Amino acid sequence: MMSLKSTKAFILIVIGLLLLGFPLVASQYVSYLMLTFFAYAIMVLGLNLLFGYTGLLSFGHAFFMAVGAYTAAFLTGKFSILCMEVIIVIAVIISSALAALIGLVCVRYIKIYFAMLTLAFGMLFYSFLLKFYYLTGGDEGMRVLQPHLLGFNLSEIPKMQFLTGNYYFYCFFIFVLLVFVMWKIVSSPFGLCLKAIRDNPEKAEYLGINVKRYRWYAFIISGAYAAIGGVLLGSAIGHVDPGLTYWTHSGTLVFMTLLGGFGNFFGPLIGGAVYIFLQDKVMSLTTYWRFIFGAILAFLVIVAPGGIAGVISSLVKKEKSIE
Amino acid sequence: MESILNILFSGVFHASTLFLVAAGLQVVFGVQKVFNLACGSFYALGAYVGIVVVKSFVAGGFPTPLFIVPLIGAGLLLGFIIGPIVERGLIKFVYGRDETFQLLLTFAIVMMIEDVIKFIWGTSPQTTGGIDLIYGRLNLFGATVPVYNLIVILCSLIIAALIGYILLSTKFGRIIRATAEKKEMGEALGINMKMVYIKVFTLGTVLGTLGGALVIPATAVVSEMGVELIVLAFAVVVIGGLGSMKGAFIGALAVGVLKSIAISTFPELEMLTIYIIVIAVLMIKPQGLFGGGKV
Amino acid sequence: MAILSASDLRKYYREFCALDGVSFQINEGEFVSIIGPNGAGKTTLINVLTGLLTPNTGKVFYKDKEITGIGPEKLSKMGVARSFQLVNIFPNFTVLEFLMVSVVSRLGKGTNFYSSLLRDQKVTREALEVARLFGLDEKKEVLAKNLPQGDKKMLDVASAFALHPEVILLDEPTSGVSTSDKNKIMETLVSASKEIGIKSIIQVEHDMDIVFSFSDRIIALHQGKILSDSTPAEIEKNEEVVCTVVGQKECFKIFRTLMDRER
Repeated sequence: MMSLKSTKAFILIVIGLLLLGFPLVASQYVSYLMLTFFAYAIMVLGLNLLFGYTGLLSFGHAFFMAVGAYTAAFLTGKFSILCMEVIIVIAVIISSALAALIGLVCVRYIKIYFAMLTLAFGMLFYSFLLKFYYLTGGDEGMRVLQPHLLGFNLSEIPKMQFLTGNYYFYCFFIFVLLVFVMWKIVSSPFGLCLKAIRDNPEKAEYLGINVKRYRWYAFIISGAYAAIGGVLLGSAIGHVDPGLTYWTHSGTLVFMTLLGGFGNFFGPLIGGAVYIFLQDKVMSLTTYWRFIFGAILAFLVIVAPGGIAGVISSLVKKEKSIE
Repeated sequence: MESILNILFSGVFHASTLFLVAAGLQVVFGVQKVFNLACGSFYALGAYVGIVVVKSFVAGGFPTPLFIVPLIGAGLLLGFIIGPIVERGLIKFVYGRDETFQLLLTFAIVMMIEDVIKFIWGTSPQTTGGIDLIYGRLNLFGATVPVYNLIVILCSLIIAALIGYILLSTKFGRIIRATAEKKEMGEALGINMKMVYIKVFTLGTVLGTLGGALVIPATAVVSEMGVELIVLAFAVVVIGGLGSMKGAFIGALAVGVLKSIAISTFPELEMLTIYIIVIAVLMIKPQGLFGGGKV
Repeated sequence: MAILSASDLRKYYREFCALDGVSFQINEGEFVSIIGPNGAGKTTLINVLTGLLTPNTGKVFYKDKEITGIGPEKLSKMGVARSFQLVNIFPNFTVLEFLMVSVVSRLGKGTNFYSSLLRDQKVTREALEVARLFGLDEKKEVLAKNLPQGDKKMLDVASAFALHPEVILLDEPTSGVSTSDKNKIMETLVSASKEIGIKSIIQVEHDMDIVFSFSDRIIALHQGKILSDSTPAEIEKNEEVVCTVVGQKECFKIFRTLMDRER
């Protein structure tokens, strides 16, 4: 019987291979959904760092995602900068700068006030995007032109084929890279300090951890992740609109994180995948998917706050104690 | 550019309904420590039901000017029905849990109510067809104000006074203030906290539905109104101070008037100004004008 | 050399005066106990000394630097640590992880977000070392919240020790512990201090046996004022102090103990 660690590694490799081979076996539509999964997964990875590991619930995470998405729209549409790598780097710089500024304000507060402050910033951006329509396209949004991947101009390839082929693999590799980076962050001394801050901020302070500063760092990193997710999402859809930063969209991100299991590394990824595919399924059955999802969220909060990962781990524990 | 008085009266009108919702938010937060994101949804429900009631009332051949009676009645009744259901059915499970989880539960309620509204009433905006103008307008100090607006302002003032009376002079009010100050007080004093929680949450809900009901004769109902209102309600609570009834009053006035000024001077900046002020208040005096406690 | 000193500390809570002009000096190498009945202001004093509370007037000095109200984080970086009367832990951390937090903080690795913690030999080794000093190394993989109460307390204290402070303030380190274990705990604390190189220990303590057995100096606090500041031997002679401070019941116990010692 393999040890737990190598079982985990084995599962990861299998999943990785499956994801890699996905477009070959699945329909174009499903592969397209997987694209959105990669984008959202990156966003919730960032949110989980803030919420799961540092204990700060943000209702404005979608703000940074929208920043990334609109950056992509501006760069490709208005400045004809089509190099994806450049777009990503610029998006990260802008969102990190914004996160640093906004974070300075927000990390002085906790819990409800933090949640509502981040909500306010997200909505501030929303009104900005709506009102300055001559710049941002208002509620019609802006187009995101197809970027060049790794310097290759692939615009001759039919759109769907591009998306479910070249772009898919590109996003997959960025996703894997970012998962790896987040894993490093979370298992580093910095990650330990974040967890300490989540568990008992007062004690952490007494052990010499500058709680506000570390929360600020986590805020910036999470913002950068969200922006990258936004760039990928915007480029996949080819269009961005102010709804991206509406507070309920941030709520969706939190939902995904909770669904999968916050504080658990892979939880949010599971949550993102389940949410996206479940939403797709439910939407095809009824227009009242929000009600169903609301009920699911209520159920999660009341009965299973540990999310799917929480349920799995308690099942594993039960098995272990039986052995 | 409208006259200043017109703007002011319009602002006070907005403030009146906003105050009701914010007061509901404050009282529930004060006692149960739950920040109810769904207060806006209750407001929306009150509005939709209000329209139905008004339309049926008029269609039923009743004297139109009396529409305000069933309107208020419906607003109250709806709250009294929904409040306990939501509290016992959902909210009670998360008392004592982390604040962020409570917030998420109320978010779930927002989602569900959104679709309930969509299911019953669809997504297109609805109005009462300007029924508020049936009372005509009044010329006050040079400003033309719809009488209906004045009635609403009066109602809110009465309710504010009622709330003040309840809080200061009744046993229930004392219990509310004591538990707001120190949560364990209620249980320590041997009071049936379960009933208190139900009552308080119902009170909060009723204020929300009433606010929504009162506002619809003067505006159109849109499906997003609940989701949009929460941000305004939050602004009120931040400016006035979380947990303070006085704060809800002053905060609502501030936000209502600000909104009114912004609409008539710089429409593009309407919500922008409000958010900026919220953020500014949070930075300068996070407890708001009257709030207390740790942030 | 004075390592920690307080000068004319006053702290009011509205009209209630918790500290009324408290001044003293702790020197290097001293083990000082602060005693006094409940409400005398002991916890307030500790909170002021550790920068959690800012006094209305008065100053606190660490060596020659003023540290009044600088806050716990900066204070622990300077070399002053404290433990808590009511156990203050990270419930979801294992014993090892818990102690690693202190070590990481001390070594300044808190902002290191790229290297693996698990593979960091230095951090692991030092955390295990502290665990051993406090008898917790067998339980290193146990979650803090699952420890028995006494071990939780030890862990809380151990994490403060792991910061390698020069001065440590212990707020009732043996409270909630059965009498038979108290001595053992105190001896663990004293030997751990020697191993780690802690220069001065200040404790708030109620158990007079412990106080008289381990202290170099006893500061008696009463109604926010220092009633006496002297060695155990000197206090023995000052009956008034002892009885005011410890109450009648304890009084008998003390004098019994002292009389037993003399035999």
